[in-house]
Amino acid sequence: MGDPRGHPERGAGPPRPAAPPRPAAQSFSRSARLVAGPQGSVRRPIAFLVVAVIVSALVSPAFLTVANARALLAGSSFLVVVTVGEALVVLVGGIDLGVESMLAASGMFVAALYVLQGMSTAASVLLCLGSGIVVGALAGLLVARARVPSFIVTLGTYWGFRGVALLFNSGNYISPDAVQPARPFGFSWMAGTVGGVPTLVILMVLVVAAGQALVSFTPLGIWIRATGSSEEAARATGVRTVTVKALVFALSGLLAALSGVMITAWQQSIYPLTGQGYSLQAIAAVILGGIPFSGGRGSVVGAALGALVIGLINDMIVLVGLPAQYEYIFVAAVLVLAGLQTRGGRFVK
Amino acid sequence: MSDPGADPAGPGGTADTGRSVVVNADRQPLLSVRHLVKRFGPVLAVNEVSLDVQEREVLGVIGDNGAGKSTFLALLTGFHRPDRGTFYYRGRPVVISSPRSARNRLGIEMVYQNLELAPDLTVAENLFLGQEPRLMGVLVSRRRMARRAAEALRQLDAQVSPKSPVGGLSGGEKQAVAIGRALLFERDVVILDEPTAAISARKVDEVLQLIRRLKSLGKTVIFVSHRLDDILTVSDRIVVFFQGTIRTVLQNEGQQVSDLLREMF
Repeated sequence: MGDPRGHPERGAGPPRPAAPPRPAAQSFSRSARLVAGPQGSVRRPIAFLVVAVIVSALVSPAFLTVANARALLAGSSFLVVVTVGEALVVLVGGIDLGVESMLAASGMFVAALYVLQGMSTAASVLLCLGSGIVVGALAGLLVARARVPSFIVTLGTYWGFRGVALLFNSGNYISPDAVQPARPFGFSWMAGTVGGVPTLVILMVLVVAAGQALVSFTPLGIWIRATGSSEEAARATGVRTVTVKALVFALSGLLAALSGVMITAWQQSIYPLTGQGYSLQAIAAVILGGIPFSGGRGSVVGAALGALVIGLINDMIVLVGLPAQYEYIFVAAVLVLAGLQTRGGRFVK
Repeated sequence: MSDPGADPAGPGGTADTGRSVVVNADRQPLLSVRHLVKRFGPVLAVNEVSLDVQEREVLGVIGDNGAGKSTFLALLTGFHRPDRGTFYYRGRPVVISSPRSARNRLGIEMVYQNLELAPDLTVAENLFLGQEPRLMGVLVSRRRMARRAAEALRQLDAQVSPKSPVGGLSGGEKQAVAIGRALLFERDVVILDEPTAAISARKVDEVLQLIRRLKSLGKTVIFVSHRLDDILTVSDRIVVFFQGTIRTVLQNEGQQVSDLLREMF
C-alpha cells in the first residue's frame, strides 16, 4: 500500500491516554455547545482540531515543529482534496465510496500516459483530469437519472476502478525509470515548494477555497444544498436536480483524479493499491466536519478541517511510535464522537 | 360548471349559466377554462369543466375527496395536460404545457400543501430558489436577495428574518415564505392548496390574513380547502366540485357551512 504519510521515524513519546477527564455530563454538554456552536457550524471541526492539536503537542514535543507541520499538511493534502469532493456529494444527499479507487486509477493513468506512452505533461494531466470528470459524471447520471442509490453506484466504482488501476503496467507500480532512459514526471513541481510553502499545501488551500466559494457564493451551491435538503422542493421550484447531482459527482471525480496526480508527483511513483482507506476517511472527515449524512447543510471548510483532524491522528500515531494499524481505531473513535454530535445525541446537542 | 348545451364562444361569455352563478360580463376574466376533460384510464377525473376566474378575487374551491379539485389544479398549473378543453388568459387562448410555462408565461404560482421548502436553506434562499439574483453572471447577489426578500415579507406582514433557516419556522411562517415567492416574481394568480390544513388552529388566522393581503396587493387567489369555515371567511366566490364537474359557483353572501355541505354531497 502506498502510504502517503511516510514520516521518518521519530522518537516515540510516552503513550499516554488521550481521553480528557469527564466532568458532570450536564455542564460538559453545555460548555461543549458553547464552544462548538450550532449544528453544522464550522466551529465544531475547529474545536475537534484544536483539541487534537493540544493533545498532540502534549503527547509529543516533536509535534509543534515547522518541519512536522509542513509534513503533516503536505501529507494530508491528498485526503483533503478528496474530502472536498466527498463533502459536495454528501451535501447533495449522496455518498461516494469510489474516490480512493478513482484516485489510484487516475494516478496509474497519468503515470502510464506520461512515462509509458511518452505523452506531454499537459496532455497526460488533462486527459487524466478529464477522465475523472467523465467517470464521475457517468456515475452521477446513474444516481440522478437512473435512480440507482449512490451507495451502490459508487460501490461499483470502488471495485471497478481498483481493477482499472491494476490493469496499467500489469498491476506493477509505475515510476519514471519504468522506461530507459528514465522520464521524470513533468508535473513533479507539485511536490516542490513556493516561497517555502509546499506546493501541495497551496493546491489544497486553493481547492478548499474554490469548493467553499462554490457552495457559498454561486447559485449551484444553493442548488446543491437545496437538493440535499429537499430534492422535491428543489425540483418543484425549477432546480434541475439531475444536472446538479451529475455535476457534483463529476466534481468529486475531478478532485479524486487531481489527488491521484498530486500523490504520484509526491511519491515519484504510483502503486495500483495507493490510497486504500481514503474513501472511508473522507466520509469520516465530512461527518467530523459537521455535514449531516442527509446532506443540505454544513461547509466544505468544515469537512477539510475534519480531514486535517484525521491526518493529525495519523501523524500522531507515527510520532508516538504506535503501529500504523492503530490509526483505524482512533479514527473510528473520533468518528463515533462526531456521529453522536451530528445526530444531536447526548454529547453535544 | 358543466353545461354541454351552451357553446360559449370564449371567455367572459355565458359559460357559467347555472344557478347562483354571478359573472360580471363587463369585466374580462383573468383566466378562463372551457370544457376541460381529463381522464386517468377509466376514471373521468375532470369532466367538461368551464370556469372564469376574475382578477383580484379570492376563489374558494371545495369538494369531497375525488371530486376533481386536485386534477383541476394540476391542469391549471401544467402538471397534467387536459385531454380536451381550452384555456384563455386575458381573453387569449393559451396552452399550459408545464409548471414552468404556467409560472413564467402566465404568472400562475402554486403553493403546495407540503409547501415545497428546503428546511436547511434560509428564508431568502428558499424564496429565490432556482431564480437567484446574479452578480457578474455567476455569483449569487446575497445582498439583493436579502433586501428583496425582506421587502416581500414586509408586504405580507410576516415577522420573519430572511436569514433564518426555514426548518425552524412555524407553520404559518412557512406559509408566508411559500406565498412570498408569488410576490417576488410578480405572479398574477396564486393557488393555495390546503394552506390551513397542517397548521395549528391559532395560526389559521395568520394564513387567512395572508390571503387577504395577497388580494389587497392585486393578486388573484385560488384557495382550496376542506375547512369550510376558512373558505367562507375569505372567499369572494366558492366553486363546488362534484364527481369531476363543477356543480355550482356561489357568490359568498351569507352562506353557512351547512349550505356548502349540501352542495358538496
